[in-house]
Amino acid sequence: MEVLETIFNVSLISATLRTTAPILLVALGGTFTTKAGIFNIGLEGQMLIGAFFAVLGSIWTQSAWGGVAIGVLAAMCVALTFSIFVVTLRANEVVVGLALNILAGGLTITLTKAIFGTRGSIVSGDIVGLPRMHIPIVEDLGSLGKALGSFTPLIYLAFIFVFVVWVIIYRTRLGLHIRVAGEKPAAAESLGIPTGLMQHIASLLCGLFAGLAGAHLSLGYITMFAENMSSGRGFMAVAVLIFSIGDPVKVLFGCLLFGFADALSLRLQTFGLSSYLVLTVPYLVTLGALFLLTYRQRPKTLRETAESLQLIRREKA
Amino acid sequence: MSTEADTTPTARAGRQLPAWLEGLLGQMVALVIAIIGGGIIVMLVGEDPILVFTTLLRGAFGSSERIAGSLLQATPIIIAGVAACIALRGGLFNIGVEGQLYMGGFAAAFVGFQFALPAGLHMVVALAAAVVAGGLWILIPAFFRARFGTNEVVSTILSNYVAILLTSYLTIDVFKRPGGWSETAPIATTAYLPQLFDFSRLNFGLFIGLALAVGFHLFLTRTSTGYEMNTMGSNMKFAEYGGIPVRRNILIVLLCSGAVGGLAGGVETLGVHHRFMEGFAPGFGFDGVIAALLANGSPIGVIFTAIFFGALRAGSLLMEVETNASREVITVFQAFIILCVSAQVLLRRRRDSNQGERRWRF
Repeated sequence: MEVLETIFNVSLISATLRTTAPILLVALGGTFTTKAGIFNIGLEGQMLIGAFFAVLGSIWTQSAWGGVAIGVLAAMCVALTFSIFVVTLRANEVVVGLALNILAGGLTITLTKAIFGTRGSIVSGDIVGLPRMHIPIVEDLGSLGKALGSFTPLIYLAFIFVFVVWVIIYRTRLGLHIRVAGEKPAAAESLGIPTGLMQHIASLLCGLFAGLAGAHLSLGYITMFAENMSSGRGFMAVAVLIFSIGDPVKVLFGCLLFGFADALSLRLQTFGLSSYLVLTVPYLVTLGALFLLTYRQRPKTLRETAESLQLIRREKA
Repeated sequence: MSTEADTTPTARAGRQLPAWLEGLLGQMVALVIAIIGGGIIVMLVGEDPILVFTTLLRGAFGSSERIAGSLLQATPIIIAGVAACIALRGGLFNIGVEGQLYMGGFAAAFVGFQFALPAGLHMVVALAAAVVAGGLWILIPAFFRARFGTNEVVSTILSNYVAILLTSYLTIDVFKRPGGWSETAPIATTAYLPQLFDFSRLNFGLFIGLALAVGFHLFLTRTSTGYEMNTMGSNMKFAEYGGIPVRRNILIVLLCSGAVGGLAGGVETLGVHHRFMEGFAPGFGFDGVIAALLANGSPIGVIFTAIFFGALRAGSLLMEVETNASREVITVFQAFIILCVSAQVLLRRRRDSNQGERRWRF
């Protein structure tokens, strides 16, 4: 019991929220492309590019938020490339996503060597990390409050964005049009909705969130860039998106589960278990969830389609 | 290519090229665009693109040792490429070749250092173990894809991470050679794949790769099962209406693909390293997948694209020594090639994608 108590304590909760944030941010980005009917395997690469350019931007501008902005812009460039190939040139989503992931991996290593002369990672005192917040009232609420009141800002934003993204997708015209473009492209076209444009917008929004996720990785908890530091989080996000069908609330729960697995694996390493075995935990949990939850989602998609088409017709009438 | 295209207004009579030539021309155009793009990246990095490309070429083909080196690098890519081709031709993606390769590599090494068997037989058993390990590694994703339609792209990608960590665990925490560095004990010489020359580690594995590619080509073109598989690959719905047992075939196709992926790792272990090392074959599985995509799923094409990528790898080693560019430049270059090919391939196939519903919708 004592072991359990040392594993499951306050710091595990705060570690869970911390490790959930990057997966959640990138998965929220993916909700837009998912709703727009694009299978976006390129999240991983967008996130990695975001992480790299956030570090670069942070050094250039000597400001953490400057770094975040540049990381986000870079990720959006990758996202735009993705949508140009997939939507405009009608290339296969999996192939393009895969190519962009490979591109991101190679490009970040190449640029690291060219700019910093090092292989593998960028560690420098010139990188300005994101500041920790101090939320007065929360911080006073005991040890849990202390942990929850002093995260870096992107962690809070990640959870707030769940609501924001939900509103955009389900309560705005843009969200409605994105959904219809994804669910019934032919119907969307006949109602005068430019499906291609909607998919480009969805992809750019996705890039924005993936860039934030990347910036959180390299400027949030630790301030460094390491080669392939996204280590599959983008793919975990894709797994969440598959079984949540892009619903932001389900995305939140899926990401919390993976964040918990991630935090738990970090914690278990201190107990003398093989670090290699322990590191497999998040991937195994993701795979398990993917396998158990993926069947029987098709009826849901169809029902949603009928509902959103009705909404559009009502709007037109 | 069906004859339907000929009736569309865009196809001009009298200027038709055979499908394979049209395809080859497309790949060439993609290659030229990618070379230009790669050159721009090299310039951005502050290097002379001409110098980088000539160094690459010299590193890949400068002497008979270097040519053998290129073929040595190409060997696992050919086998991994055939593995990816098997899935692609069945209308599926196996992005998990990397993981299967690691599992196969470890299984072969395990048989190699754990058992004592007569020469030759030992090698065959070790390769068989690699095949079984690769097949087992894709079994669960394959089963769920066949039974429930669970997306195999994500499940196979995620299994890569598990495979790499698991083999690292087995190598370092369980079977580490005392005093060695992140590696198992060496395998017995009875399990070695024979080397072809004494100046290079190039080995018999190359012929295994070539035989697999030619064999799969013959299977696709000469057998009715191959025809059935092709039908399933080009249109799964149609295949189902046509009475082809699609679910069962998905399982078989993915298992075969995984088994060949495992074999790639076994060949690398028995032919090159003679032990299992952590990170022993970085990226060979992914290179195989890209080689298969660049070859548009053709196993004969994979021989050439894999040798091309092997040469790039071999050349990049010299390039990294002699210039300031890092060897990952070639990864960027490969990504450019795939992007260019993906765009033009689908331009040519636009009519197909207009007909059927796109597969990746959920």
